[in-house]
Amino acid sequence: MNAWRVAATKLLLLAMLATAAHGGTPSAASVGESIYLRGILSSGAPLEGTREAGTTAHAADAACVNCHQRSGLGSREGNLSTPPITGDYLFHEHTHGPAEPVLPYVESMRHREPYTDATLARAIREGVDPTGRQLSYLMPRFTIGDSDMAALIEYLKKLAVHRVPGVTDSVLHFATVFTPDADPAKREGVRTVLEQFFAEKNKFPFGPSPRMWTSDKTAYSKSMYMAKRRWQLHEWQLTGPASSWRAQLDKLLTEEPVFAVLSGVGGSNWAPVHEFCEEQALPCLFPNVEVPVVADRDFYSVYFSKGVLLEAQLIGQSIVGSDHQVAPRLVQQIYRAGDSGEPAAAALAKQLEQHGISVRSESLPPGPAGRGLAAALRAAARSDVIVLWLRPGEIAALGPAPRGSQIVYVSGLMGGLESTPLPAAWRPQTHLAYPFDLPDRRGVRLDYPLGWFKFRHIPVLAQQAQADTYLACSLIADVLNNHMADSASRAYLIEQLQGMLERRIMTGYYPHLALAINQRFASKGGYIAHFSDVPGDRLVADSAWLTP
Amino acid sequence: MLASRATVHANHDLTRWVMISVLALVTLLPPPASAGGVPGPQAAVNSAPARHTLITTSRYTLPAILLVRDDDKTVSLPEEVNDGRPVVLNFVFTTCSSICPVMSQVFAQFQQKLGAASEQVHLMSISVDPEEDTPARLREYARKFHAGPGWQHYTGTLEASLAAQRAFNVWRGDKMSHSPVTLLRRAPDQPWVRIDGFVTPDELLQTYRGLSGPSGGETLATR
Repeated sequence: MNAWRVAATKLLLLAMLATAAHGGTPSAASVGESIYLRGILSSGAPLEGTREAGTTAHAADAACVNCHQRSGLGSREGNLSTPPITGDYLFHEHTHGPAEPVLPYVESMRHREPYTDATLARAIREGVDPTGRQLSYLMPRFTIGDSDMAALIEYLKKLAVHRVPGVTDSVLHFATVFTPDADPAKREGVRTVLEQFFAEKNKFPFGPSPRMWTSDKTAYSKSMYMAKRRWQLHEWQLTGPASSWRAQLDKLLTEEPVFAVLSGVGGSNWAPVHEFCEEQALPCLFPNVEVPVVADRDFYSVYFSKGVLLEAQLIGQSIVGSDHQVAPRLVQQIYRAGDSGEPAAAALAKQLEQHGISVRSESLPPGPAGRGLAAALRAAARSDVIVLWLRPGEIAALGPAPRGSQIVYVSGLMGGLESTPLPAAWRPQTHLAYPFDLPDRRGVRLDYPLGWFKFRHIPVLAQQAQADTYLACSLIADVLNNHMADSASRAYLIEQLQGMLERRIMTGYYPHLALAINQRFASKGGYIAHFSDVPGDRLVADSAWLTP
Repeated sequence: MLASRATVHANHDLTRWVMISVLALVTLLPPPASAGGVPGPQAAVNSAPARHTLITTSRYTLPAILLVRDDDKTVSLPEEVNDGRPVVLNFVFTTCSSICPVMSQVFAQFQQKLGAASEQVHLMSISVDPEEDTPARLREYARKFHAGPGWQHYTGTLEASLAAQRAFNVWRGDKMSHSPVTLLRRAPDQPWVRIDGFVTPDELLQTYRGLSGPSGGETLATR
């Protein structure tokens, strides 16, 4: 007994040492996920795969997610079809009878012999299917040890499409989030569009259709099911300080499980909502925010553009690449602390300083419009360039014109786009960052949503946010109706959106929208523009569409 | 192993594309082993699991469009193509995770195999996602594939990229529909050799050498 205890103690110590050496023993689930998503084996070594003729794939480039996608439901790229590899598709046995378990239809699904754990491991290592036939040239032959292979197969089995929260047999639940600092007019305008869109979507609700069978006797469960569910909107109005939003969101999601967060309105801080969506693996689709979160590794949050951060890039590119007679040496920025201009000013300062341009950023104290502005403008008198991250009330009250040689840039998003109330004396020297297509170029793309508002008597309180909201709703309806069939997978929703967006012709305020794997901002560019000499709000582009 | 050689002209594009679609389809899994069974829903796709390439020759009229090279310089497409060196050209985008990394790795290995002569061959990769692929992103992508001095990446306006894709008959409606195509040309007065499908570094070298030989682009070989 003593010997057994000594041996057990030694084993325990060895295990603890091994754990300490590796910073904690990863679970099989996390090993499988790490291999699938990041191409990292349990040892920390990179996953290696080779293809015919010696091309190789390494680490993140070898990760399964690149072709099979995060959902595991595969993809189509050009004439290449990558099949789904979640457990239910891999191990699916065709009985060709009513008892056959149903699989949601995905475009690249195959009809073939089911895998076993052993034949799947062989497929991953040697590139042959259950019947011994070669897999595609694109599929690398991977070097994976037994325990890592078991963890990966376990992960694939768990990727199987399960019942998704927020999706019932007849209802798709969506949330929309309003932060307490959201502009009230924008919030009201967006809310009205959402409610109207949902009401119309549900005007002709369809019941679940019966299970369908194709001619080859493959069962598709309730085909076109996503198109036939009723949409239900949950309005999540957050309150109090940003530090409390996360707890509120957790509680709301528990009480009202939703399939995705659609649209919504934020103020200058959307990060808590973004982080909540990423952690909950919850699609957060096209919120109306000026400061989105830019994070390379995130997946579930999709925005129309980078907002004021894009404006900072546009202004930076204009300053650095401009053909000004004298190269700007000193740039003065003015923003109000706590407002959207603060992160934009920080981003622009960083960009300009990399080009050797000095930047001074004047932070106005939080408070009523105009507070501290006159002093900040006096301090800006010696700079070559003034960048204003200010709201319409402050723009209207700018006072005397700047020195003749000074160049002024204004945030269009914050200042009111073409309605920015720029004093006449400031117009000749001022350029507007404009991260949309110009008003006289986007007409036809906006005719439909504006007509839709008009005929439904929807008051236009914040045209751009409302048009974006309509666009977001119609895009998601398109994805769900035409690209999802009956696959209720949150990740698949994002993947299908990434794939279809580029083909959209009606793109509202944007000349062009596109996404891809690892892209989260659908519109990449904008203009630097100025008001024409003619009184009014006609904008003229300084140059072609810029994609900084 | 399928190898095909043909000379096609612009008015045969549709026919050629149909051929390519059938021949060059690459899939991950083979068709069902359904003895006497009915083909599966993806039967057409499943029918060609192996790697195939189709080599053709063609003359393309290149528009006088401007592209932005990965060194931030604005350049003319015809001038870049006609810079005095043989050209090997493909279309990629930096966030493409399946087709493009393989094509770029083939370029990298091809360039390595050229050895000391690598700078004498102009490798050109034109982005089909120019709004996302800024010159800085292209430089990062080129570094990842250890691109040598003879290999440049190009971006530009959406319109310019589209014009380049249309000129080389690789535009398929959007970037997600692009397929692997490699184009080679020895000199401006020679036809382009077009390889549809996944070419290997050795095949590309072999095709290039055939191109550079005394009989020019008429002696081509595939695997």
